[in-house]
Amino acid sequence: MESLLAAVTAPSAVTDAAETVAILVLLSEFAMLRSALSRSQVNLYAFQSLAVAALAFIVAAERHVNDLFVLGSLSLLLKVVIVPAILSRVLREAPDDVAGSHRLGVASMVMSAIVLSGFGIFVIGTMPIHSKLLPVLALAIAAAVILVAFLLVIVRSDVVSQAIGFFSLENGVSLAGYVLAAGLPLIAEVAFLFDLLVAVVVFGVLMRVHHGRSASLSTRALEKLRG
Amino acid sequence: MSGVELAPAEIQVLQDLTILVFAPLLSGAIAKIESRLQGRRGPRVLQPYYDIAKLFRKETLVPEDSSFVFLAAPVVAFVCYLTVPLLIPVLTSFPLPLGYMGDILGGGFVLALAGFSVALAAAETGGPYAQLGSSRAMTFGALIEPSILFVTFTVALVTGTDLPYFEAAAVRSSLSQAVRPAHLLAAFAFFLVVLADTGRIPVETHVSTLEFGMIDEARTLEHSGPALALLKWGSTMKQMVLYVILINVFIAPWGLAGSRQLGPVLLAIPAFLAKALGVGTIFAVIDNAFSKLRLFKITEFMAAAFLLAALAVLVLYLGGG
Repeated sequence: MESLLAAVTAPSAVTDAAETVAILVLLSEFAMLRSALSRSQVNLYAFQSLAVAALAFIVAAERHVNDLFVLGSLSLLLKVVIVPAILSRVLREAPDDVAGSHRLGVASMVMSAIVLSGFGIFVIGTMPIHSKLLPVLALAIAAAVILVAFLLVIVRSDVVSQAIGFFSLENGVSLAGYVLAAGLPLIAEVAFLFDLLVAVVVFGVLMRVHHGRSASLSTRALEKLRG
Repeated sequence: MSGVELAPAEIQVLQDLTILVFAPLLSGAIAKIESRLQGRRGPRVLQPYYDIAKLFRKETLVPEDSSFVFLAAPVVAFVCYLTVPLLIPVLTSFPLPLGYMGDILGGGFVLALAGFSVALAAAETGGPYAQLGSSRAMTFGALIEPSILFVTFTVALVTGTDLPYFEAAAVRSSLSQAVRPAHLLAAFAFFLVVLADTGRIPVETHVSTLEFGMIDEARTLEHSGPALALLKWGSTMKQMVLYVILINVFIAPWGLAGSRQLGPVLLAIPAFLAKALGVGTIFAVIDNAFSKLRLFKITEFMAAAFLLAALAVLVLYLGGG
C-alpha cells in the first residue's frame, strides 16, 4: 500500500490554492450561466472577480511581484465594488423580468458548457506550455472560463447576461494573463482595467436605452427590428 | 499494549453488525436533530427500532396479482445492504480480506441491485403510486449514475486503483491530498449523490406523505408487515452505508482502527457515529434551508453533481488538481 501511495504525488500548497481559486472562477461562471435572476448574476460576477483578485495576490506573494499587488487591489476595487454597484443601480429601475431568458434547458446548457470547458482544457493540455508562476491547469481553466462566457452570451437572451458574459470574459482573460505574463508592466494592465470601465459605461447606456425603448431587458424585443 | 487481537473475519462480521445495529439509531438521531431545528420535539431517537419491531409483529398482505418477487425483493435488498459494508472501510483503515472483492463500482452495483429489486417488486404490484415511484427511482437513478462513475474515475486517477481503502489512505497521507481541488470536487459531487440517494431535499422530501412528490418512498407503499420492516431497516442501512463511503473514504477518513486490537476496533464505532451525526446535521440543515425542487428540475441538480465530478476528472487530466 505504501508503494502505491508513493506513486501519488500531491501538488504543493501554493499550487493547490491557486488551482482551487481558478476552479472557483470556473464554477462561478457555470453558476452565472444557470442562475435565473440578473441580480444573482451580478453577485456571482462580484464573487468571480474577488477570486481573480485573490489569484493575483497569490501570484504576487509567491513571486514577489509588487506590481501585481497594486493591480490586484485596483481590480478588487473596480470589479468587486464599482462595476457590480453600477450594474445593480441600472437594474434597480428594471423589474426582474428576465427569469426565463434561457434559450436551452438548464441541464442541456450545463452539459454543453461541460463539453466546451472540456474542449478548452484538452486543447491547452496538448500545448507545450510550462509556466513558472502558475500551473498550466490555471491557464486551461482560463480557456474554459472564456469559452463558457461565450456560451453565456449566446444562450441567454437578456441584456444583463450579455453584459455579464462580456465582463466575465475579461475575468477569464486576466486569469490567463496572470499565468502567462505576470510581469507585464503595470501601465499596460491598468489600461485593460480602464477598457473594462469604458465597457461598463457603454453597456450601462445600452441597457438603459434598451429598457427605455422596449420596457424589457430581453433581447428578443430586438428581433422585431428585422426587416 | 497487548490486548485481544481480532481475526480479520471477526472484524468483517463486526462491520456488518455495526451497520445492522446502529443504522436505525443514526436515522432516529438525524430525525431528532431535524425536528429540533424546526422547533418541534420530534420522535424519540429510538423510534425507528420501535417501528421496525412493530412491523415485524404485523401480518403481511400481498397484492393479488404479484408473484414471489414481491416477497423476495425486501430480502434481496436487505442482503445487498449487508454485502456492501464488507467492501468499504467501516471500522479499519487497512483493507480486510473481503475488501478486495469489489471496488467502488462493485459496491455501487450491489446497491443498484437492491434498488432494482425493490423497484421491480413495486412495479409488479399494479399499485399506481408504487409503479410511479419505481419508474421515477429508476429514471433518476440512471441520471445520477454518470456522477458516480466520474467520482470513481477521479479515485482511480488519484490512487491508481479504485478500491475505497486506497482513496481513504491517499486522503490521510497528507493535508495537500485532502485539500487538492480534484479531491474537493469529487467529494462534493459525492455529497450531492448521497443527498439524492438518501431521498433528501432538494430532490425528495423524505418525511412527506404526499405521493406525487415521492420517488424512493413511493416504492414501498404496497408492502406491509415484516417485508416493510425489512425495507425500512434496509433504507436506514443504505443511508448509513452511503455515509460510511462519504465520511470514511472522502471527507474524514480519520479515527479508524489502525490495528486488529479489540479496543481500537470497538472505538471506531462511536467515532464513526459521531462523524455521521455531524454529517447528518449538515443534511438536516440543508433539509430546512432549501425547498424541494420540482420533479422536472431535478435534472438540474443531477447536472450540477455531474459538473463537479466531470471537472474533477478534467482537472486531473492536466496532471494537476
